[in-house]
Amino acid sequence: MKKRQWTGMWITLLAVVLVLSACGGKTTGTDSNSASSESGSSSSASTTLTIAAATDIESFDPHNNNNTSSEAVLVNVFDYLIKNDSEQKKVPGLATTWEQVNDTTWRFKLREGVTFHNGDPFTSADVKYTLERVAKDSTLKQNSYFKNIVEVKVVDEYTVDIITDGPDPLLLNRLSKMGAGILPAKYIKDNGFDKFLKQPVGTGPYKFSKWTKDDRVELVKNENYFDGEPKWNEVVFRVIPEASTRVSELLAGGVDIAASIPSTDIARIEGEADKKIVKAPIQRVLQLIFRQTEGSVTADPKVREAIDLAIDKQGIVDSIAGGAGIVTRTSVTPGNFGADPSLYQTSLYDQEKAKQLLQEAGYAEGEAEMTISVSSQYKEPAEVVAAMLEQVGFKINLDVLEPSAFSERYSSKSFKEIFMIGIGNSLFDASNNYNRYMLDEAKGESDYNNPEVEKLLQSALVNMDPASREKEYQQVQQILAEDRPAVYLYQMEGVYGTDSRVNFEPRSDEMFYADEITPAQ
Amino acid sequence: MGKYVLKSLLQVIPVLFIVSLIVFILVRVTGDPVALMLPETATAEDRAVLTQALGLDQPLYTQYMKFLGSALQGDFGQSFRYGEPALQLVLERLPASFELAVAAMFFAIVMAVPLGVASAVKRNTFTDLIISGISVIGKAMPNFWMGIMLILLFSVMWGVLPVSGRGGVSHLILPAFTLGVGLAAQMTRLIRSSMLEILSQDYIRTARSKGLGRMVVIGKHAFRNGLIPVVTIMSLQFTSLIGGTLITETVFSWPGLGQLLVVAVNTHDMAIVQAAVFVIAFIVVVTNILTDVAYRLLDPRIKYD
Repeated sequence: MKKRQWTGMWITLLAVVLVLSACGGKTTGTDSNSASSESGSSSSASTTLTIAAATDIESFDPHNNNNTSSEAVLVNVFDYLIKNDSEQKKVPGLATTWEQVNDTTWRFKLREGVTFHNGDPFTSADVKYTLERVAKDSTLKQNSYFKNIVEVKVVDEYTVDIITDGPDPLLLNRLSKMGAGILPAKYIKDNGFDKFLKQPVGTGPYKFSKWTKDDRVELVKNENYFDGEPKWNEVVFRVIPEASTRVSELLAGGVDIAASIPSTDIARIEGEADKKIVKAPIQRVLQLIFRQTEGSVTADPKVREAIDLAIDKQGIVDSIAGGAGIVTRTSVTPGNFGADPSLYQTSLYDQEKAKQLLQEAGYAEGEAEMTISVSSQYKEPAEVVAAMLEQVGFKINLDVLEPSAFSERYSSKSFKEIFMIGIGNSLFDASNNYNRYMLDEAKGESDYNNPEVEKLLQSALVNMDPASREKEYQQVQQILAEDRPAVYLYQMEGVYGTDSRVNFEPRSDEMFYADEITPAQ
Repeated sequence: MGKYVLKSLLQVIPVLFIVSLIVFILVRVTGDPVALMLPETATAEDRAVLTQALGLDQPLYTQYMKFLGSALQGDFGQSFRYGEPALQLVLERLPASFELAVAAMFFAIVMAVPLGVASAVKRNTFTDLIISGISVIGKAMPNFWMGIMLILLFSVMWGVLPVSGRGGVSHLILPAFTLGVGLAAQMTRLIRSSMLEILSQDYIRTARSKGLGRMVVIGKHAFRNGLIPVVTIMSLQFTSLIGGTLITETVFSWPGLGQLLVVAVNTHDMAIVQAAVFVIAFIVVVTNILTDVAYRLLDPRIKYD
């Protein structure tokens, strides 16, 4: 009898579970139908744009974000004073004109008649609030890019003066990157920052609609956008961390654009009639950085040259990166201020000479022992590099680290002879690449020391004359190409899969400006 | 009985305490979150400021005492990545994981019950052999591989089900199936042996000799009783579904606890890792106690002491 009662209870429970799961499905079902991101996208192709990325945004606070995939989404909601066009030229955003008043002051005329998504007008007060917040709060992730701003002076309702603590040739670059996204001062003051994060408001072409963490961000058209009506009714950014799932989602037609396509899937996507692979060089150069501390094997310039000559960079691009890379002898690639095109799209490779150099440096086969540390994300190119170096007679210990462990060693400057890293440049300026070779910064990491380079870098740091500043960086580049504090492997390329429903030209800054993407007619 | 429950609940405290200590230490010895949070150009000074702001400059035991003190009040700190309370983020994800686990359980039952009963009734026949074969494969197949294969077949090739994400019932089918297959295989074998034992009991023979139909004997007499041990195992397995959705959620971009935890580990979001592991441990421990109590109620031969 007792057993029977229990069986009855369990069967009831089972029924409840079944009903529960059915209900759970149904309620969320209506939800997704209205979002119409999957099945609906074919019938409303011109109204919804769906993009899949590997990582989610961190938050809707442009000042407290430090990843490119966040900025790629946020640029559609928040505007900058100055925008980079797809060639990284500065064009007016919320500021219409700007001029340098003196070495430490820039004056900006603001666009009139712009409103935030909640209807508040955009004025000088918003610029003051925004830039002073990111400049002064040292706990914000973007603070280090903006802390040299001392004050934002309101001249009148549509004019501001931005004052820096010294000459800053990079101010315009800073104002056109994440961290300079203009926030609504009044809305935040009235409602508090927590409310703002839940219901963010900007001046951008798309308004916040919904964010389900690690799933999707949904944006809707801002009918009152100052630069004309946006192209899409809705823009959905989906988060799909698993690469093969992202590719499948593209193939199944669930998304219009899928970012970060692994090289192994390129052929598969190109094989489909209505899918396409598009590529664009990005701001990231994979490189080996050497320790030149006395006593280290890599302190000898001949050894460093031998390393450079031993590595077949084009071979790595073709085999590991699926062709998505551009060999280079500089990390300041075209589109960045200070680039020297003569060192781009070229590389050195001569195994025989490498062997000879190693001998000249006094090392017999297997005597020059080095450790290469690398984060697990670059494990494959590192393995190939190690194999190539062993071919010419080096002895390599490959030290593959989990990303956060790599970061820790990186910031504590405790790598041995070599570490491999992909370094980006969010400011589009050579200083971002080379400040690490200034005496103070290099200390303990590469211990690079060249007085001539030091002089040029120090001068370029505060040089407000673009023409001579550019020359200084080009000179530095030529010296570094011979000195080899680092050997550059290749500039990486962003690889995207797209559906023929949309026309998409990837940008070198990896942003997704929804209005630069158009429906195919 | 009440005494037993109380005693079990008291045992929960040291378990959770130890879990919190282990996670706390592991999370701290594996890397520096500050390095991950700052841009490449940040100076040593920037790092120092942030380290201090996060309280990471203090000795480990001070950090732990602080963590424990706030954890007892339900505060597991702020997520570095999202800047929101970690516990809240974890609890927000529970419904998604729960939905997936319930659906997987549903699949497992729907598959295992008929297969298990059939293979017991048709013991040592060709049918039995086939079913046993399938369940061995089902148990051995890695979730990851199976998820990807199902996506390729049902979404890419045939286009009948969505690839990923959380939405309607259609979104639930593939991940729930992936997650449920292993459990179904296990349950099939369990139901088979449980049914076999019962089919050899005297009262079944009596029922048969009374001239009752085959279906009645199996359905009414054997099946009901054969289910009891299975149900106990099921509730135990449910906790492993909740905690074990990491791979399935990642493959299908299912925004649940598993995916949150994977991302948190990758980005070294310490507060989330701590809160998530703690919540999972809590669910497992409490469910185990409930199962134990239920089991004891089911079988009066077990004493509560």
